[in-house]
Amino acid sequence: MNRGAMRTPLGRALGLGSARDGVEDWWRERVSAVALVPLTGWFAVSILAHAGDRYPAVISWLRSPVTTTLLVLLLIALFYHTALGLQVVIEDYVHSRAKFPALIGVRLGCIALAVAGIVATLVIAFGA
Amino acid sequence: MIIESSDEVPRTTVLKRFPVPRNFGVPPASRIEQGRTWPAPRGATRIKRFDVYRYDPDSEQNPRIDTYQVDLDDCGPMVLDALIWIKNRIDSGLAFRRSCREGVCGSCAMNIDGTNWLACTRFISDLETPAIIYPLANMRIIKDLVPDQTHLFAQLRLVEPWLRSRTPDPARERLQSPEERHRLDGLYECILCFCCTSGCPSHWWNGDRFLGPAVLLQATRWLVDSRDEAVGERLDELEDPFRLYRCHTILNCTRTCPKGLNPGKAIADIKKMLIERRS
Amino acid sequence: MVQTLSGRPRPLSPNIQIYRPQLTSVLSIANRITGVALSVYAVALVIWLLAVAAGPDSYAVAHTFIRSWLGQILLFGGTFCFFMHFCGGIRHLAWDAGYGFSLRAIYASGWAVVAVSIALTLLTWAIEFAVAGYGR
Repeated sequence: MNRGAMRTPLGRALGLGSARDGVEDWWRERVSAVALVPLTGWFAVSILAHAGDRYPAVISWLRSPVTTTLLVLLLIALFYHTALGLQVVIEDYVHSRAKFPALIGVRLGCIALAVAGIVATLVIAFGA
Repeated sequence: MIIESSDEVPRTTVLKRFPVPRNFGVPPASRIEQGRTWPAPRGATRIKRFDVYRYDPDSEQNPRIDTYQVDLDDCGPMVLDALIWIKNRIDSGLAFRRSCREGVCGSCAMNIDGTNWLACTRFISDLETPAIIYPLANMRIIKDLVPDQTHLFAQLRLVEPWLRSRTPDPARERLQSPEERHRLDGLYECILCFCCTSGCPSHWWNGDRFLGPAVLLQATRWLVDSRDEAVGERLDELEDPFRLYRCHTILNCTRTCPKGLNPGKAIADIKKMLIERRS
Repeated sequence: MVQTLSGRPRPLSPNIQIYRPQLTSVLSIANRITGVALSVYAVALVIWLLAVAAGPDSYAVAHTFIRSWLGQILLFGGTFCFFMHFCGGIRHLAWDAGYGFSLRAIYASGWAVVAVSIALTLLTWAIEFAVAGYGR
């Protein structure tokens, strides 16, 4: 990987060549954003309607199949969008050797959090 | 509040600069130090103060800010006139690029009162007090207000800004309808002043790999040219997380273009083309 | 050309240190800051769901924290972040579809995002006080 000072300006601008990739991530960030518009809208309104509820009221709201479904969809779309958004932020600002560990950490962390949230939702829905 | 065209000078100011330290993240050799104040012209009644970035590559010193007092009754109405007046009357060592003095060559692009514009089309009466003149942002400086644009032109060369065709040359012209020609409007007029690219925060942080609005505008100019036959190859070269997709639609470019062009829209058109060709 | 003939590196002209903040760049960085903040709130959402799933005792702990002054401040900030990122995101989606690139549209939609975000935040909290009652 020759990035030396003797490389020509065009050589330096060419870098490692075009990755010929990137549309997919861009598109998926937009699709998840579109999904999040109604899902977060529903969630915000619901939370507002149940503001200050005690435990039994919260449980009975969360136990309905509609709520469970929408919550699972919300968690998937939310963490997908978050993973892509944070990936872009890290690529923008982190240029040291910490970049790839950070990218991997963020992606795995989002997957783990999404799964944890979905499991919690299902436990609430199907638990005793 | 609502800006209609890019030549409007901002009237309301909440913040003159982002709340970061003056020498935030600046390597030691680029730190700006206090410079000298040049004497005011004798007998002048209307004086305006200009703070100008100076750098002398032949000395070992860091860049500095020099203060000049310009006699407004003795120089023309534009910022370039003031710089030429300073060079003629006060300090012949002040270096800056200039040519057409009418906003068509792109030589005198610089940062005036915090935004990039052409010195020859910015009125002195629109300036703040004191007027603050820096070179184009985030560029290697050769001397004073003269930036090194080698890398930017290398990036332009990378997108192959010429007609690429496989069809053999016709006997006369390559035909194009008026509607097809109209698609080039707003793209071909770019004077490559690089005000937009040097005002793009994404290019500040990733300028080695991100092509920037000027180059991407030119890439669009060739992508939408109906006579060009290498659209697929051009899009392949552009489809890269850094070359194209560091653009996050910040839109400083459209705000600052001294020719009123819209690089932000052109880049959005490239992204749309990339989506359309895979659906 | 990055160095002078004598080998001394050319200085870099200032960028964010001197460039004027404009509606374009300020709203863009605000969208990014609110987005990153919301990713932290997403973690809090999962923690809240886990607290609910774990039973009434852990839920009570979460509920107490949310009702505390710190929790309320964080929730207020989170609401504003959410609405700003939401409205900013819709503006971005419009741009991605190709709409709203004239300078007039950029500025009008930008101020609209600011106004609507603030208005929705205040409206939400007014409703919240009405539904939950102050100090419950």
